[in-house]
Amino acid sequence: MRMLAQEEEHDDSAEVTWEDQQRINSFSKLNTRLRSIEESIQELKQEKEALDDISMELELADEDQPVMYRIGEAFVHMPHPRAVKRLEKDLAALNAELEKRSASASECEKQMKELKVILYAKFGRAINLDE
Amino acid sequence: MSTTFTENQERNPRGIPKAPFIADVAEFLGPDPNPENALKDFQAALAKYRYMDQNLTQRRRSLEDKIPDIKKTLSMVEFLQERREGKKALGGEEGTDDDDSDLEENDTSTKPLTTTFELNDTLYAEAQLEDTDTVYLWLGANVMLSYKIPAAVALLRSKLESAQNSLTTVVEDLEFLREQITIMEVNTARVYNWDVKRRRELREKSEAKDGAVEGKGS
Repeated sequence: MRMLAQEEEHDDSAEVTWEDQQRINSFSKLNTRLRSIEESIQELKQEKEALDDISMELELADEDQPVMYRIGEAFVHMPHPRAVKRLEKDLAALNAELEKRSASASECEKQMKELKVILYAKFGRAINLDE
Repeated sequence: MSTTFTENQERNPRGIPKAPFIADVAEFLGPDPNPENALKDFQAALAKYRYMDQNLTQRRRSLEDKIPDIKKTLSMVEFLQERREGKKALGGEEGTDDDDSDLEENDTSTKPLTTTFELNDTLYAEAQLEDTDTVYLWLGANVMLSYKIPAAVALLRSKLESAQNSLTTVVEDLEFLREQITIMEVNTARVYNWDVKRRRELREKSEAKDGAVEGKGS
């Protein structure tokens, strides 16, 4: 915990109302939510990189050769065109998911910023909302 | 003074008690304030909340591990189903508007499906799958059952849905818990600050009194 010097203590005259408490709660909730969304976005980005690598490989690969495409945990031998189609479908689904998560992340950040402004205005140094 | 605020409290749908919000510290502590006891109670309640938080976080992690597994199994079974439907469409009709069937023709639908599957970690083997309408699903606890493909798809979908619903519930509970922990932490901070202020005021008052007494005496 951070100790304030006595001169900085005059801030404690700001009483914490129920609305303030709810704002603090919301901030905490959004913070936790944002962190877990960012983690999942990282994972999705890695998957996307992998799929992008695959699409490059498929472009270079021989079109007559069967392609081993991973479904679940096992690989299925399928003709090149089918693999390309399936890859497109998977990539589209992944991008849609990534978009959705990024949108919720920005929404969280926006709300957090608003709450920060209000809470810092009222409590000043008596509250800490940053990492 | 309310030392037993953890009983007869409101609870959320899963039975997690709500933390009391202190509107006014002096009023909460009452006519005979005992901040040490209040702080002790808060710490005890915080410990309980943190323990619940740990449990829920564990459950959430295990659900988050299970869900991708179910998705993988489901996608494989759906793939098998698509293949069967593609073949049936070829056999029954002359032309379909599914361009997949064009690919199927090159695929020679009578050829079995070749897969490379994981025999062991880093060890893969090739297998040929014959056309089949049955799959076997591992249900855990050393139990495996055979299902027709549509039934397997239905079962996996329902498992996936219930896992996702549980995950949503657990996440909700975790957020609720986080709120209660925050409230308790804020309460602790305010009671502590109030106590520090009060002690300082008492000390200043008694010093002023001593000073006045000495002034009178000298």
